Amino acid sequence: MANLRLEHVYKRYGRNVWAVKDINLKIDDGEFLVLLGPSGCGKTTTLRMIAGLEEVTRGNIIMDERDITTLPPWKRNMSMIFQSYAVWPHMTVYQNIAYALRLKRLSTSEIDKTVREVAQMTDITDYLDRFPNQLSGGQRQRVAVARAVAVKPKIFLMDEPLSNLDAKLRVSMRTELKSIHVRTKATTIFVTHDQSEAMSLADRIVIMKDGEIVQIGTPWDVYHDSANMFVANFIGTPPTNFIKVRIGMEDDKLYLINPEFKVLLDDSFKKRLASYNGSEVVLGVRPENITVFPKEEPLLTLECLLIEPQGSHNIIVSKLNDKIIKIVVPSEVIVKPGEKFPIAFKKNSLLLFDPQTELRI
Amino acid sequence: MKLKKKWIPYILIAPTILYYFFFWLSPVISAIYNSFRNPKGGFTFNNYIEVFTHTSFGLAFRNTAFIALVSVFIEFIIALALALLINKKFKGSGIFLFLAMIPMALPAVGAAAIWKTGLTTNGWMNSLLYYLGFLEKGARIHFLNGSTFSVMWLIIFVDAWQVIPSMMIILLAGLQNLSKEAQEAGYVFGANRFRTLMDITIPMLKPTIVTAVILRLISAIQIWLIVVLLFGFDRIPLLLERVVYYKEEVSRLENSYQIASTYAVIVAVIVTTAAVLYLKLSGAFEKYEEVGE
Amino acid sequence: MDKRFVTKLIRKTIFYILITGIALTIITPIYFLVSLSLLSSREAYQYPLPLVPALSSKFKIEKGRKGYLLSIYDPRLGGYDTVIDTKHIDKIVRYMRTELNIITTEKKIKSYIDNLKTRKEVYFKLRKSIFNNYITFFQVTRDAVPALIRSLEIAGLTILISLTIGGMGGYAFARYMFRGKNLLKISVLFVRVFPAVAIAMPMVVILARIGFYDRPIGLSLVYSVGSIALTIWITASIFMGISTELEEAAYVFGATRLRTFLNITLPLALPGLAACAMYAFIGAWNETVSALILTQFNPTFSVVVYQSLIGASGQVNLTAAGGISMAIPMVIFTLFIRRYINQMWGGVQV
Repeated sequence: MANLRLEHVYKRYGRNVWAVKDINLKIDDGEFLVLLGPSGCGKTTTLRMIAGLEEVTRGNIIMDERDITTLPPWKRNMSMIFQSYAVWPHMTVYQNIAYALRLKRLSTSEIDKTVREVAQMTDITDYLDRFPNQLSGGQRQRVAVARAVAVKPKIFLMDEPLSNLDAKLRVSMRTELKSIHVRTKATTIFVTHDQSEAMSLADRIVIMKDGEIVQIGTPWDVYHDSANMFVANFIGTPPTNFIKVRIGMEDDKLYLINPEFKVLLDDSFKKRLASYNGSEVVLGVRPENITVFPKEEPLLTLECLLIEPQGSHNIIVSKLNDKIIKIVVPSEVIVKPGEKFPIAFKKNSLLLFDPQTELRI
Repeated sequence: MKLKKKWIPYILIAPTILYYFFFWLSPVISAIYNSFRNPKGGFTFNNYIEVFTHTSFGLAFRNTAFIALVSVFIEFIIALALALLINKKFKGSGIFLFLAMIPMALPAVGAAAIWKTGLTTNGWMNSLLYYLGFLEKGARIHFLNGSTFSVMWLIIFVDAWQVIPSMMIILLAGLQNLSKEAQEAGYVFGANRFRTLMDITIPMLKPTIVTAVILRLISAIQIWLIVVLLFGFDRIPLLLERVVYYKEEVSRLENSYQIASTYAVIVAVIVTTAAVLYLKLSGAFEKYEEVGE
Repeated sequence: MDKRFVTKLIRKTIFYILITGIALTIITPIYFLVSLSLLSSREAYQYPLPLVPALSSKFKIEKGRKGYLLSIYDPRLGGYDTVIDTKHIDKIVRYMRTELNIITTEKKIKSYIDNLKTRKEVYFKLRKSIFNNYITFFQVTRDAVPALIRSLEIAGLTILISLTIGGMGGYAFARYMFRGKNLLKISVLFVRVFPAVAIAMPMVVILARIGFYDRPIGLSLVYSVGSIALTIWITASIFMGISTELEEAAYVFGATRLRTFLNITLPLALPGLAACAMYAFIGAWNETVSALILTQFNPTFSVVVYQSLIGASGQVNLTAAGGISMAIPMVIFTLFIRRYINQMWGGVQV
C-alpha cells in the first residue's frame, strides 16, 4: 500500500522519438488508477517506467516520499501482471507463485500458506502441480494474478491483462480483479485500450494520447465532462456525435446555429462563449442524450438509415449534415429504415469544443 | 496420374531414405563388417582385441576424453556469455556478430595454416608477444614442444577459437526466441540480473542448450584434423586420429584397414553412448514446450 | 542526474573494452594469416615477423667482389644488409621476384647500375607487387585453377542434390503426419555420429563401382549426406512457418498441389532455402579429408591447399595465400548468410 508520484517524466527512444512527454501524476494509496488510450499513446511505457523496466529519460518517480527513479525493478517491491502473462514455463504453478516469496527468504511453511491462500482466491488450487503448458489461456492468466497477489506488493501493475481473453472471460475476470483490489486494498495501476474496461474498473482514469496526458478524472468526469474532442470520442460506445455549429446572438440570447436546426443556449454559456460569437464551434452530443419522439418541441426531423438492436437498447443510425449520427434509444422504441422521426437534445448535455484546439469550451 | 493423398509424404521422404541407405548405411555397414574381418578372410574378434590391448587405445581414449569434455564445457560457457552479450544489442553488435562468425567460415586448412604459422618457434605469436613487449629479443615460447598436458590446452584453445561461433549462433537464436516478458517478470518479482539469468533465462533456454551441446559433443569426440596438421600423427593420439592413422599411415600393416574400421566403429559407439548419456542427464526427454510469447 | 550519468558511462566503457578485447582475439590470428599471404618470402622467414607487410623496399647497389653488390634496407638493423653479389643482372631480377615479390626488368636494374660509373653507391626504391603470392600460388601449385573450378562444380552439385532431396523431406515433415516421423527426426541428427572419414573409406569402393570415384559427382553425393540432414531440419521449420491457409487459398482458386508448391510455397521459403544452399556450399567447399580420400588425380581446391600446407615445398607465405583464396568466398558468403541464417534459426535480430 503506497502512494506514487510522477513528476515531469519524459521517455525518449533514440534521438528524436519522445514516447512520453511531461507526465505528472499523483496516485493515492489504495487507488485503482487506469491508464487509458489508443495503441502507441505511451501508457504501457509509463507503466514500465513505474516498474523500473524502462529507464526514465527525464523526471522523477517518487513512492512514499522516496525517489525510486533509478532503483532497479527488483528493489521496488511492486508486482506486475503482463499482457502475455509471462508465466514461467519451466516451473509448476506452485513454483511460479512461490518464486518471489523464496527470493524474500520466507520460511517454507509461510510460503506454502501464502501460495495456497492466493490459489484459493484465484481458484487454481487444482492446478498447483501442473506446468503452464498444460493450462488454458484463462487459467494461465489466473496464475499470473495469483503470482502478483502473493507477493503483497506496495503497488500492483497490470499491463492489459485481459486483452488476450475471450469476451465473456474478460468481463468475468474484470469483476474478479476488482474484488481482489477491494480485498487487498492495494494501490493498482491498470493499463488498457478498452474504454469500457476502464470505466468499470477505475477510481480515476488517465487518458493518454501521443505520449501526453489528455485528461485525468473519475469515470464520470471523463464521460460527462470530457476535456476535449478526443476524450469525448474515445469514451463511450457508440461515440459522441460531433456537429459543426455557429455561435450567433439574437435578441441578447445565444444560439447554436446549424443549417438544419437552431438551439437556444442557457445564459450560463454567455461568458464562456464570449470570444466565439459569430465563429464556428463543434457541438458534441452523446447518442443517449438525443431523445427520439420528444415530449417537447422537436429540434429537427431525421430519416432512419439503420437500426441496430442490442437487446437492452437500440441504436438508430441516421444522417445529419450528411454525416452519420447515432442515437441510443430504449429497446421498445423501434424506427424502421426510411422512416422519419423527430429528435431533441437533452438539456445540459451539450458539449462545445473549439474547432482548432479541440478543447472543451 | 492419381496420387492417393496419404502416399504423398512417403513419396516425399523416399528419396531421403533411399539416399541414406545407399550413401550412409551401406558404407557404415561395410565398415562394421570390416571391423570383424580377418584380412586373410573369415570372421574374427581379433581386431577389437588388438585395438584394446596392443594399440595406443587407452592413451587415445584418455586424450580424447579430456579434450572433448574440457573443450565442450569451456566453449559452452564462452559461447553463452558471448550470446548474452550480443543479445544486448549494443551499438556495433551487428559488426561484432559478423566478426565472430568469420572463424567458422574458415576451412580447416585455413585455420591450420593460421595456427601452424603462429605457434611455431618463429611464428607470429612469438613475434606479436615480442612487439608487445612481453618477450625479450632472443626469447621464444615453444608452444608446440610443450608437455602433452600443455599441448592439449593449446589444442583446446585452437579448437575453441574456431568452434565457438557456431555454438554461439545457436544459443543466440534460442535467446532471441525467449519471451522477454518472462525475464522482465523475474526482475519485477525480485530477482536481480544474475538471479534472473540463472533461475529463468537459462532454464528456459534448456532445449537450445541441449541442441548446441549435443552437436558440439558429437563433433568434439571426433577431433583429429587440426591436431594432425599441427603435430603430425602419433604425437597426440586421439580416437579418430587413430582411424586415419591406420588407414593412411600404417598401410604397410596387413590388417591396417580392418583396424581403422574397428576404431571407427568404436568411435561411433562412444559418441552414441556419450550423446545418449548427456540427453538422459540433461533431462531432455522430459518435454515441456515454450509457452506464452 | 549526474551520478546516474557517470555510473552509466563507466559501465559502458568496461563493456566496450571487453567487446574490443574479444574482437581482437578473433581478428588477430586472421590478420596474421592475411598479412602472411602478402609478405615476401624473405619477410616471411624473418623473426620477428613484420607486423605489416612492406609495400616497397629500399636498395643500395655498389661494386662488389664478383660484380655488383646489392643490399636491402632492413629497418630492424637500421642499415643495409647485403643480399646478393653477382655480375649477372638477370640473377638480381630473379632474386627480387622470388624472394621479395618485386617485379622488375633487367633494363631498369641496368639503369641503376650504370649510375655506378659516376658514383660509388646508388640508392633506389622499388615497389612490391603485393598480391604476387596469390599469382604465384596459382601458377606454381599444380592443379590450382582446375581444382578451383572443380570445387565450384562440386559445391553447386551438392546444393542441387541436398536442396531437392532435403527440401522434399522437409516439406513432408512440416505438412504431414506419417509413420516413423519421430524416428526419422532423431536419425537425422544421428548420422553425424559415425565419423565421416570412416564413411569415406568404404565409399571409395562403392563409388568406384558406379564409376563416380575421383569425379565431382562422386564427392557431391558424399557431401550431400550431411547437407540433406541439415536441409530437412531447416526446411521443416521454414515450411511449418508458412501458413497452410496460403496454400489452401490457392487450392480453392483452382491450383493443383504442384502448382501451389511452385508458385506460392517455394517463393515464400526462398530465404530459408538460401540459407540451406549457403550451408551446403560452405560444407562442400571446406571439406578436406573426405576429398583427400575420394579423389586422386582430380583434387578439389581444399586438397590442393592442404597439400601445400603439409608439403615440404610449400612456402609459408604461399600457403597462406592459398588459404586466404579459399577462405575469401566463404567470408563473403558469411556476410550474406548472416541475414538468412536468421530465418533458419528463427530470427537472430541484430
